Amino acid sequence: MSLLEFECQHLYPDGFSLDLRLNLEAHFAALFGPSGSGKSSILSMIAGLTSPKEGRICVAGQTLLDTAAGRCLPPEARNVGVVFQDSLLFPHLTVESNLRYGERWRKHKRRALDFARVIDVLEIAALLDRYPEGLSGGEQQRVGLGRALLSGPELLLMDEPLASLDAPLKARVLAYLERVVSEWGIPTLFVTHAQAEVRRAADWVVLIENGRLLADGIPEEVLTRPEPLGWTDSAGPVNLLRVEEIEEQAGLAIARVGGHRIQLPAGPLSHRSPLFIQFSPAAVVLSRNDVKDLSSRNHLTGQVRQLIQISGDVFVAVDVGQILWAVVTPEAASDLELAIGLEVTCLLKVHSLSLID
Amino acid sequence: MTPNIPLLSAEEWAALSLSFQVALCAASAGLPIAVLTAYWLARSRSPIKWMVDALVNLPLVMPPVVTGYLLLICFSPRSPVGGFLASWFGVKIVFAWTGAVLAAAVVSFPLMVRAIRLAFQQTDPRLESAARSLGAGPLTAFLTIALPLAKRGLIAGWLLAFARSLGEFGATIMVAGNISGQTRTMPLAVFSLANRAEGMDQAWRLVLLSILLACLALGVSELLERRHAVHQR
Repeated sequence: MSLLEFECQHLYPDGFSLDLRLNLEAHFAALFGPSGSGKSSILSMIAGLTSPKEGRICVAGQTLLDTAAGRCLPPEARNVGVVFQDSLLFPHLTVESNLRYGERWRKHKRRALDFARVIDVLEIAALLDRYPEGLSGGEQQRVGLGRALLSGPELLLMDEPLASLDAPLKARVLAYLERVVSEWGIPTLFVTHAQAEVRRAADWVVLIENGRLLADGIPEEVLTRPEPLGWTDSAGPVNLLRVEEIEEQAGLAIARVGGHRIQLPAGPLSHRSPLFIQFSPAAVVLSRNDVKDLSSRNHLTGQVRQLIQISGDVFVAVDVGQILWAVVTPEAASDLELAIGLEVTCLLKVHSLSLID
Repeated sequence: MTPNIPLLSAEEWAALSLSFQVALCAASAGLPIAVLTAYWLARSRSPIKWMVDALVNLPLVMPPVVTGYLLLICFSPRSPVGGFLASWFGVKIVFAWTGAVLAAAVVSFPLMVRAIRLAFQQTDPRLESAARSLGAGPLTAFLTIALPLAKRGLIAGWLLAFARSLGEFGATIMVAGNISGQTRTMPLAVFSLANRAEGMDQAWRLVLLSILLACLALGVSELLERRHAVHQR
């Protein structure tokens, strides 16, 4: 049985039109696209907060909306939980009252979650008596997540949950999201315009642009399409190399990635898992031959898998055991005679790397 | 029974207590309708919103005497509404205490709606959407989220309506008349006294009392504002 069947058309007053047909079976799916592509509208329709002119939405076999049959369940009757970008915690209620709100009002909970376990996984036990305005952004998002979970949904929708958090916090909260998914396995659909989040968390990606479905598939396939690279506000691509092993040798932190040893910046070593090395494609220097006597500490060799030219930049995908993206000028690409299958060396400065968990 | 207060005569005491009762009832009776109207005006995107808004604001700009005249026509015992109330509930509006309440309620209604609507507009409607997504129906979302968050606006609106009702004259005298002990509120009492030959001096006490009450209402309202501002910081 398919998890989500979505087939809707709607024309907005400002001229934007949405026409999408989606069939999801995956557990943790990402709706990925640039701002204004209609991703949040799709979530809003699934949650029942807005209604399309025509359409049909089914979640876990239950028909939530069928304009042809004249059926439209109100939001409170749909078993769908929502985590909002601004968390939208109720300011006049304590954290505990906020958490218990869904528990209290949802009539037909399919999955009753244990309150103590939820606050344990999200590490919010110490916040129960406080009010939302005194909490940090990350704490608010965790409470928002807990609140949505405790309403016992069949499907969890997240509308850019990390967008209003600053960079170090994003990775932290993403880790909590992953913990939640692995603990309770509630199917989740999250909307984002940040590639890094998609690469890390999703096992299925749906590409949306201008209210239309571009493609869907596993992250590795979908994210190597040319379109995402052209989305200047999509904060990507970002390189996220999964660390296979990490160790300290002679005061230096060394990570093993795809058979290579990568030196990391100095600093406290996290031993949480999974760990990622993050850096921008603009921080990668490509060379036809390995070069000695350079200050860069990390030289990774690999084969060119893809070359994509987008408005004055050439994006090069290199397989160093994992796929790594570099961006070079078209002149550089032609000088080096870059071609698919070519062996190149990627030079990475330690300073351009950051270790995130 | 009139208590023996040395500062006030029996007549003055009657006017004071009547004014209080009328204002209390008028503000309280109008509150539920004002809340619903204000909520609808704050949230709705209906094309007839401007019409409802104009209707609600009418008593604010019309001369109160005119408002009183219209109410008189509407609720006189010979009218369908007045006749219905009299025969089914035994309720008399014209030249009765209830008429004073009705007049005050109608005249202060736009002020109450204005204050409450502002409070609802300052509340994020997405919070109610969040409540709906958690399983709360529209009524539950209104009662548990929208209303508590607009609490201060409700209190401010009630206080404003109360203060306005204390001072209501034109509509009251038209609908309820000026019957001593029954419909002679403080403003009507001042008017009556001032019309007598030696009355101007006697009116002073009531005038001072009226000013005092108005200041009191403003003071309470200001106090609530300040307390909220401190809490916000």
